[in-house]
Parts: sequence; structure tokens; C-alpha cells
Amino acid sequence: MSLLSLFRPARTESGRKLHDFHGGIHPPQRKTLSSEAPIRPGPLSATLVLPLNMHLGAPALPCVQVGDRVLKGQILAEASGPVSAPVHAPTSGVVRAIEPRPIQHPSGLDALCVVLDSDGEDRWTALTPCPDYRDMPRAELVARIRDAGIAGLGGAGFPTAVKVNVRDSQRIEQLIINAVECEPYITADDRLMRERAEGVIAGIQVLQHLVQPMETLVGIEDNKPEAIAAMRAAAAGTGIEIVTVPTKYPSGGEKQLIRVLTGKEVRSGGLPADVGVVCHNTGTAWALHRLVTTGEPLISRITTLTGTAFAEPGNVEVLIGTPVADLLAFGGVPQPHTGRLIMGGPMMGFSIENPLAPVVKTTNCIIAAPLSELPEPEPEQPCIRCGACAEVCPADLLPQQLYWYSKASEFDRAQHYNLMDCIECGACAYVCPSHIPLVQYYRYAKGAIRQQAAEHQKADRARERFEARTARIEREKAEKEAKRQARLEANRQKSSPATSVAAATPAADPVADLKKAVGEASSAYKAAVKIAKEAEEQGADNAADLRAEADQLKARADELKIALRDAKANAPAAVAPTAQAAPADPVADLKKAVGEASSAYKAAVKAAKEAEEQGADNAADLRAEADQLKARADELKIALRDAKASAPAPTRPAPASPAPAAPPAVSLSTAPESPTAQANAEDEASAEAERAKRAQRMKALKTAFNMSHKQWKEASAALERAERDGLPDVDTHRARVDKLKKKADLAKAQLNELVEAAKADMKASTGTDLKTLKLQAARAESTVREKTAALATAREAGDEERINVLQQELAAAEQQALETARTLKQAVAEQGLSDGDDA
Amino acid sequence: MALLHVTSPHATSSQRTGALMRQVMLATLPGLAVLTWLFGWGTVINVIWAMLIAAAAEAAVLKARGKPVGLYLRDNSALVTAVLLALAIPPTAPWWLTLIGVGSAIILAKQLYGGLGMNPFNPAMVGYVLLLISFPVEMTRWLAPGAAPDLATSWQLFLDRYPGADALTGATPLDSFRTWAGDASALAAEPILQGRFAGLGWEWVNVAFLAGGLYLLWRRIITWHIPVAFLAGLGLCALPFWLYDPVRFASPLFHLFSGAAMFGAFFIATDPVSAATSRWGRLIYAALIGVLIWVIRSLGGYPDAVAFAVLLLNLAAPTIDYYTQPRTYGHDKPKRGTG
Amino acid sequence: MSETASTVDYATLTRNGLWKNNAATVQLLGLCPLLAVTGTVVNALGLGLATMAVLMASNMTVSLIRNVVTPAVRLPAFVMIIAAVVTVIEMVMQAFTFELYEILGIFIPLIVTNCAILGRADAFASKNSPAPAVYDGFIMGLGFLLVLVLLGGMREAVGEGTLFANMHLLFGDMARDWTLTLVGDYRGFLVAILPPGAFIGLGLIIAGKNVIDRWASERAKRLKAPMEKGSRRVRTTGSVS
Repeated sequence: MSLLSLFRPARTESGRKLHDFHGGIHPPQRKTLSSEAPIRPGPLSATLVLPLNMHLGAPALPCVQVGDRVLKGQILAEASGPVSAPVHAPTSGVVRAIEPRPIQHPSGLDALCVVLDSDGEDRWTALTPCPDYRDMPRAELVARIRDAGIAGLGGAGFPTAVKVNVRDSQRIEQLIINAVECEPYITADDRLMRERAEGVIAGIQVLQHLVQPMETLVGIEDNKPEAIAAMRAAAAGTGIEIVTVPTKYPSGGEKQLIRVLTGKEVRSGGLPADVGVVCHNTGTAWALHRLVTTGEPLISRITTLTGTAFAEPGNVEVLIGTPVADLLAFGGVPQPHTGRLIMGGPMMGFSIENPLAPVVKTTNCIIAAPLSELPEPEPEQPCIRCGACAEVCPADLLPQQLYWYSKASEFDRAQHYNLMDCIECGACAYVCPSHIPLVQYYRYAKGAIRQQAAEHQKADRARERFEARTARIEREKAEKEAKRQARLEANRQKSSPATSVAAATPAADPVADLKKAVGEASSAYKAAVKIAKEAEEQGADNAADLRAEADQLKARADELKIALRDAKANAPAAVAPTAQAAPADPVADLKKAVGEASSAYKAAVKAAKEAEEQGADNAADLRAEADQLKARADELKIALRDAKASAPAPTRPAPASPAPAAPPAVSLSTAPESPTAQANAEDEASAEAERAKRAQRMKALKTAFNMSHKQWKEASAALERAERDGLPDVDTHRARVDKLKKKADLAKAQLNELVEAAKADMKASTGTDLKTLKLQAARAESTVREKTAALATAREAGDEERINVLQQELAAAEQQALETARTLKQAVAEQGLSDGDDA
Repeated sequence: MALLHVTSPHATSSQRTGALMRQVMLATLPGLAVLTWLFGWGTVINVIWAMLIAAAAEAAVLKARGKPVGLYLRDNSALVTAVLLALAIPPTAPWWLTLIGVGSAIILAKQLYGGLGMNPFNPAMVGYVLLLISFPVEMTRWLAPGAAPDLATSWQLFLDRYPGADALTGATPLDSFRTWAGDASALAAEPILQGRFAGLGWEWVNVAFLAGGLYLLWRRIITWHIPVAFLAGLGLCALPFWLYDPVRFASPLFHLFSGAAMFGAFFIATDPVSAATSRWGRLIYAALIGVLIWVIRSLGGYPDAVAFAVLLLNLAAPTIDYYTQPRTYGHDKPKRGTG
Repeated sequence: MSETASTVDYATLTRNGLWKNNAATVQLLGLCPLLAVTGTVVNALGLGLATMAVLMASNMTVSLIRNVVTPAVRLPAFVMIIAAVVTVIEMVMQAFTFELYEILGIFIPLIVTNCAILGRADAFASKNSPAPAVYDGFIMGLGFLLVLVLLGGMREAVGEGTLFANMHLLFGDMARDWTLTLVGDYRGFLVAILPPGAFIGLGLIIAGKNVIDRWASERAKRLKAPMEKGSRRVRTTGSVS
């Protein structure tokens, strides 16, 4: 906002009112270095490197293969997705490779490129010009533009086909052609307009046809009088207005130029099309002109070679993909070049370290400047808060605050100060007297913010997935529950007549009746199984029949058992008095219920397993039933825990004595049934099942033993205390202690029995005992270690032969170790043993 | 190729903090010259002595903080603080007065807060105020204009060995006006108030500083916002009261050209580190300083109020910035606060 | 749960009260009187002794009643006790050191608001028996007093060029000639006597304490380091030796 502009509103000759944007700087132009020589054709490099991501949007996908022979203008990579552009061969030759190569990026990283070896012949492929583009359907023209790979040549590289594809709902008022070229050193558009103004105007007319604006403006800075004259002459009578804007950096910025020419402001985060404006670059217009007149795709562009290191600075029409090194040689830069090698202008361009990086569609300038011209940057000094940066910022930001908060990584505050509206023009850093690299801080902050946003999005999506999954599981559970209820109803119908039949004794209690029925059914089944087995051993004829009978009886017995469990579960209060004479204690009841539910579940699991082994139809149902019972058992366990928590010490001693006995008793009581009940024809299966059972029993016994042991300890402590304090009920304590000890000892004894049995079984089945297995595993491990150490020494010694040999040995040893470990684990798991069960 | 791999922009303006500060010091030369003409060599001696102390103090603290001394001394900010403080204190100031003032300005008000760019208060003004409240006698021992002592006397005064120092003192215009305000005849009789448009002799000091300030504006070292708003605030605040009662209240011209008004407008209040940063913020900041100066001068207890006004507004600068952020391109309204 | 007397570590209490948890330089409590009355050593000493007396008396009282007071009303109860004690001390000063009482003025009753006293009452005295509580009060008060006297000495020396001036206000006539004149014919550095000098002086004292702490910890680290080297093996290569 200069003072003079307050008094003299800027107007062009045609009377159009020009606006101004805040800030801006006037760096030395240095354009005469390269603006006086005409455009000359660039070199034809031996190798051309074509990055697939030359434009904004998705990288192109290669559609040729290594070794293919291509012609000039042939498509090498296709556009992928709606915002993308294809890549064409700039000259004829052979595709050498499609691989990562250093590209035009300040990071110096590689990206996928098509590497083309030119054959020097420069043969064109078949081209189809479309000079009658006005008669073509719009979509076809847009497709032609897209297929030609035309992107914004001003520096952003936005695919032109997308930009011209204006929606019918968007009314474009102004089509602005950005010929401002505000950055120092660059003169590409200047020369283009001076020499090829007619072509440029023709290209603009193509744009006009596509966009249908109300007015077309070409903005040119007043430091290019010849270009203005040439364009004015060429645009005479076409309705295209050539507007001269005052020289100020960065009036070539899209948003700033829109403001200057039309006074409109593009909303933060919005597009110019939202305010009815479309901006294109001069070079793009020229490329469009070439497309419609000759059908050429975008394979070359005008690039300024400048900087005092060039012996022959000027503008060249360079093939896209030409490595910068070739251009340096072409322009006569003495090797080795020290100083800056910049791709782009001095304000917004980036310095490249690898001169093998290629020229791409957006490279408008190469600056090779020795240190005398662009000296090394000065060291950063503290900010003196002078505010010069805020005075020159074209976006009217507060660069000082952005600097403080970007430096401190306080990204929320930086965003509050509209960090994302920074166009990174570099004007603030240009004027900073303390030489602070402000734009670098903003780039860092913007990158960190974008990364945070991406991670946030990822986390959101993960959360959504998780919620959907939990909902689905809930749904499935509910469905299962409904099915189970239905089946239970059906079962209850079936088993009630059986129960009434089996109830021989006239007892009023249905549970007791069921129990008796179960007992009878079980014994009948056992007998039948015995008979069947004998018959099979003797090879009698009716063996199969007997077996079938036995199965039937088993099924019956199982049904009755399930019915009994249900009945018991449905009437826990009635069950409690029959189980013990203790008063109705909720904890004890729950304990009983838990025990019963667990055993019911175990039985159901066994039944289900069997059924699955035999491939019976109701296997799935039984399995589901088992799941239900498990759920029930878990619920009861939780209820028991709650009850215990809400009624601590007092209730514990009372049911302590019967309770620990109950679970082992229950499991023990069911255990004798199960092995015999399970004794099927196949010995192996039975042995396995037996093992499983034993393992389970051992686990149950272990828990029981631990519990009773713990209770015994507590009782002992209580006894001690009672004795110490001289309480009257010492004797009761003592009695309890003794009882508990007996229980614990009993459990331990039983457990030991089972452990011995397991060990014996293991010995019988695997031929070894636990100890040996463990020894084997340990030995294998140590062998591995030895070999590893030997290998390391051999490596240090560099003994190749020995290394190979040792590697093989090491592999073998590792294999061995793995096997022994696995065997050990299996054996232990099968038998339900644990490490502590060694005798 | 040993290429320089640095970030854009690759061109920078040739402005340097050190050069900026040097220009500021240059711009004080006219004022220094007039002060010397009126009051003798005392001020020059003070300026040189203050610059020495400032450089030494800053170097010492930077060393203690483990920072590269040469790099940080190059920005000349300590020298500017010293020059400004030396110009503000009386020419009869003994050596230890300047020593304590500059020492506390550099060490307490600047380095202890983190060095250049981190101090919330104008260091020169902090030093001035510290001296003012500690040594009221020495700090109000001004000379009568025109009766400039010679170099030897000035040197003796500097070394604090001049026994008749009190005999030399003369009141400043602001002092006189305060004393005799309301008494038209006494005001007319006071010689110091008989200058062309403001206090005798002192008006030229202010004109000289105005010239220096305009030079800074022309070289774009400072922007117009703070000086213009400062002077406008002071002048426009004095105007109605003077119109109402010219005997009790001094004229705007008197206020603008006496004491440290011009000095404050172009050199003190424009200290970038402690001032507000946004455009509107600077206008408000400087205008309030002007108003406060008039208030303290006319209604308060001290004859000259630039230092106190500046310090008080330094306190308020962050809040002013809070409410005066510019509207960024593409947004509808300016933001408030810091998010 | 109250600790028994045998479990209180007097050494830790002393170290904390005087240095590590000093009421003025670490807890930053009671700064109002500290900044206001430390213009001279005698003022600082007077207020410091008064605060120490209050601390000891209030701690003892609070400790004696700690098992009787319910948690709900303990803070009002403590404040009442402290107020009573302060009133007593004020009356004592009014009786025996009248001039000092007049100089210190409002700051004697304001000892009630000294958060260090309420803080010690709540944090320590209400949880310990009387003997350690009294000791804690004494040592905390002593720490506070030392800072007061140090700051007072600094400000008096820099501001007026003397030390121990006017000690007779506190100690009677025999203390009249205790005054040390450090700089003859001192012009006086007023800012040291005024509040800004107090803030700057306290800032320097706290900074000095932090520097000493840091130096001490670095020295301790340096002394420990050689011993630690051999006690742990750190594997730096992939092979196991």
C-alpha cells in the first residue's frame, strides 16, 4: 500500500481500474542477462529422464516396457485417475529403463522415471491436429488436451484438462492469462510473447472457447514493453485485453494477480473458479496452440538459462527430460561449478545438488550463479521484531508470529495466524535484516501439520472400523442367543417325557428324579459299551448292532445329563440344601452354581467334540450349546466374585471347608464317569481324550489345591492370632485348620497321582519322559549358541569356507532346537504338565 | 560440483541489522551536535563512555551465556541502547551514573530476558528510569542553555570532581512550566520559556532530532506509523486543554518541541523489539504514548514523562497486538488473540 | 496416620528447611513481607524473628490439637491458631521493641497471611507430634530468616552503604555501635531500597541458589561417574563375547 496509490488510483490506458495487493518487494530484476537473445533450440541429449510425477495429481502409469522403441510424441505413461496427465516421449529412441532416478525436488530424493535413450533421428509419431476445434464436441477437445499431457507451465503443473473442464454451474467472468513473470532472472514468457505472440493469442482463443468467459485479460508487467507491444498487435480485434500491471514481486502469484486485475479475493482454501476467475499461463496457451495446429503433445518448453556462470545465457526451447547437466554444458557453464544451481527463480526456486535431475514441464528457469552473484546465506540472527516481513507479505499475514510459533512447533497457534495461506513467495525472508530463513520454517510447520492431519485421519478410520466390528460381534452374539433359546425350548419338550419315564422312585423333586435317570442311563450305556467292545474283540456279528445300541444309549444319557444341568441351573436354591446342610449362603450357592455350570460346560464340550469327530449332524448345535454353557459359567463366576467382594471375611470361613472340596469333588465325581463314558471304539481317540481329560483334571486339581492351601494358610494365621490374643475359640480355629490341611493334602495327593499318570503316559506314548525331553531341548539350544559364536569368530576372521560350513551347521542346529522345543511343548501341553511338575 | 544446497529465497535484500542500527546512531548526530553546542561536551563524553560500557557488558554476559560474542555484538544493538541512554541523561552526569544506567539496561533489561529480540521493555528507558528513581539529584541537574562549560569543566563533571556542580544547574523548560503553571506573569518572566516557539535552546534540540528522524523515515529504517501517531497523540491531546486555559496548560507546539518529545517519537518509541508489531497496533501504541506523556507532564509528578509512558505502553503492546491483527487475504475478518 | 517421634528424620528436616525446600527461595511463599521490609538488616531480622516465633508456636499448638480437629474444619482452626499467635507476637513487639514495631507497621499482622506458616501447619504439624513440629517450625523459620537477612543486607549495603544500622531497635542500647559503614559518604542507591531493588535482589538470590544447586549436582555426577563405568556391560556389537 504505497502512499502514492492513495492519491493516484492506478488505471490502465484502456481505463480499467487496477487494484493493489498488500506488501510486495522490488528486488533487482536481472532480466537483461537473458532477455535480449532470441529463443534458440535446446540440445538433444543422449539420455532423457522423464519423471512420472511432473504434474500435480497422481503420477502417470507407464505403458511401455524396457526395450521398446518409441517415436517422438508417443505416449510413454498414461494418466491415472481424474487429476493426472500423461507423459510423452520428447524424441525417438529406445526405453532404457523404468526406475527411480534423481528428480527435480529440493529433497534430492529419487522417483520413478522413464529413461529414454535417444537415437538422434528425432522421428515424429503420427500426429492429428485439430484446427477446427470449435466444431468439436467439448468433451472431445478436453480429452485431446488431456491426452496431450498439457499441464500448467507456470510452476504448479496442474493438469490443464481438469482446469478447463469448467462445470456448467460455474459462470466464469474473467479468463486471466498470467504473463506477469514477476520473478527476477526469468524471461521465458517475455521472449515467447515477443517472438510468438500470434501463437499465444491463438492458444488463448482455445481457452476462451473452452471456458467461455465474459472477458479475457492478459496481465503483463510494465518491465516488458516489447512483449506488451507484440501482444497488443497480435490481439487486435480479438477481444483479448492486454493489461499492464506495475512491476512488483509477487504480482504473478495467482491470488495476487486476480486481486490486481479484478479486485476480487479468492477465499482461503478456495479456488479461483469460486469467484468466477480462471488463470492460465502463457506457456500453456502456446502449448494449446501447438496442439490444435499440429497435434503435438507437450514435449518441450521454453526455459531461461541465466546466471553469470553461463557463457551464453538466454532462453532455449528445451525437450522435457533433458538433464540439467546437459543444459549447463549447452550454455557454457565452466566446470566445476561452485555456487548455486537453482531450478526455478531466485525467490521461489529450489537449489539442486544433483545436476542429473531433468527439466520437467514446470521448469521455467535454470540459474547457475557463482558465489559472487548469489553469495552464501548469512547466519541467522535473532529476530528484532522490526515488522518488515509483515509489511511486505502479499497475503497480509504476520510472518513474525508464524516464525515464532513454527519455530516452537506450536502448530495450533501457527494455524490460528493462517499459516496455510502463505504462498511461500519468500518476500518476508528477502527483507529480513536478521537473515532468518522464514519460508523454511513455514514449510516445516506446514509439513508437520499435514502429517498430523493424515495420522488423525488414519486414527479416525481405524476407530470406525473397530466400532463396526464390535457392533457386528454384538449382533452375532444376540442372534446366537436367540437361536439357543429356541433350541432349548425344543430340547425341554423332548427330555421332559424321558425324565418322567426314568423317574422310577416316587420322589417329588424333579432334580432328584433326573439325577437318578441320568445315573441309570449312564450305567446302561457303560454296560452296553462293555458288551460292544467284547463283541468287537471277538469279532462277533452283532458287534456293529451292539455298538449302535451303545451309541444310542450314550446319546440318551447325554440328553438326560443336559436336562439335569438345566434343571439344576433353573433351581439353584433347591439344589443347595441337597448338596450340603449349610445355611442358605449366597456365596456358597453361587459357588455351587459355578461348579455345576463349569462341569455342565465341560460335559457339553466333550459331547460336542465327540459329535464332531463322528461327524454327527447336531455337532454344530452341540458346539453352540457348549458356548452358551461357557458363557453361563463365566457369568456365574463373575457373580460369585462380586458376591465374594461384597461379603468378605465373615462368609469365607463358613463355606470354606465344603467349597474347596466342591469343585474338585464335582470334577472328580464327573471325572470317573467321563473317561469310561468316553471310551469309544478307537483307542487312540480315547487315549487322546483321556489325556485331555487328565490335563483338565490336573488343572482343576491344581486350582483346588492352591485355593485350599491358601485358605489353610489363612486359617493358620487366624489360629496364630487367636492363640496370641488368647481368644476363646482357639479350638474351632484349630479344627478348621486341620480340616483345611487335610483337604489340601488330599487335593495334592490326587494331583500327584495324576501327574505320575501323565508322566507314565507320556513315557508310554513318546518313549521318553519329561526330564529327558527337557534335556534334549536344552542341549539343542546350547548347540545353537555354540554355532552362533563360532560363526561370529569365523566372520571376524574372514574365513569364507568356515563361514559357509558353520552357516549350514547353524541352520541344522536351529532346526533341531526348534523340533525338540516343539516336542517338549506338545508333550507338556498334552499331558497338562507344567515346568514345576518335575519330580 | 560443490553446489550450495540452501533453501529459497536465494536473493536477499542487503539490509542488515547491524547496518540498520548504525543508521539509527547516525541519525542522532544532529541532536548530539545541538546538545553539544548548547550544553558543552558532557553529552559527547557520556555517549562515548556509554558505548564502551555497553559493548563490554554485552560481551561479558554473552560470554557467560556461552554465545558467540562477535556474531551478536555485530548487530550493534547494545551500542544503540547506549547512545540513546546517553542522550537522555543530563550532560553533567558523572561516570558512575552512566555506568549503572547502561549496565542495568544491557544486563537487566536485555540480556536477562534472553538477549536481542526478547526484551519486553525498552532497555534504554529501563536504565533511564532506574537512574531517575535512584539518583533524583544527579538526574535533574541540567544546565542552562548558552552557558556551556568548557571541556575541562565537563571532564571534571564527568569524573565527579567538580565541587560547584549544583551552581551550574538550570531548569529545563518543562521544569519551569510545571513550577509556574497558572501564574501568567511568572511564565512570562522565565527566560527559559522565551524561545521562538518552545523552550529556549531546547526547541532546537528537538528540531535536530526531528531532522534525524526524518532521515530515518526517508531511508525506510522506520515507518511513519509510530512517529506520526506519537506526535499526533501528544499534540492533539494538548490542543483542547491549551485552548481552554493557556496559562495552566502548555501549547501543543511547546509540548512537541520540548523535553524528549521528538527524541522519543523517532528513536525511543520506534524500538522494534518492545513496540507493537501490526500496523494499527503501532498507531494505537504510539498515540497512547503521546496521550500518556501529556497526562504525566501536565497532571503527574515528573517533568518529563517519555520514559514512563514508553514503559507503560511496552506493557500493553502484546495486548494491543492481540486486537489489531491484519485481515489475511482470503479471510473475511481479522483474527483475535493467539489461538 | 501420625508418625511416631522416632521416625522423624531431623537431618532431612534441617536440610529441607534451610535449603532444599526453603520457604522463600524454593517455595516462594511469604514474599510480600520479604519484599517489603527487607530494606535494612534490622527490619529483616525483626520480621524474620517474629515469623520464626510464630511458626514455632503455631506448629506446636497445631500439633497438640491434631488428633482433636476433624479434617473438615482443620484449615479454619489452623488459621485461628495462627492469628492468635500472631496477635500475641505483635503485642510482645509492641511492648518490647516499639520503634521496630512502628517501622514494620502493617507487616507484623500480615504474618498471618504468610502461606509458609499455614503450609507447614497443614503439611507437617498436623501430622506429627509436638517435638518435631516445633523443630520444623524453627528450621523453616530459620531458613526464611536467613533469606530475609541476606536480602536485607544486600539492599542495605547497596542502597545505603551500611550494614546493621539501627540494630538498637531490636537489641537495645548495647547494639548502637554495631553499625558497619561500608562506603564513606555514600550517595545512596535509592532503587535498592525501593521495591524494584527487592525484586531484583530476590531474583539474584534465587538464581544464585540454582547455580549452586546445579554446580553441586554436576560435581556429584562427575564424582560418581568413574565408579559406574565398570558396573554395567553394554553390548555394542552383534556378537556375544
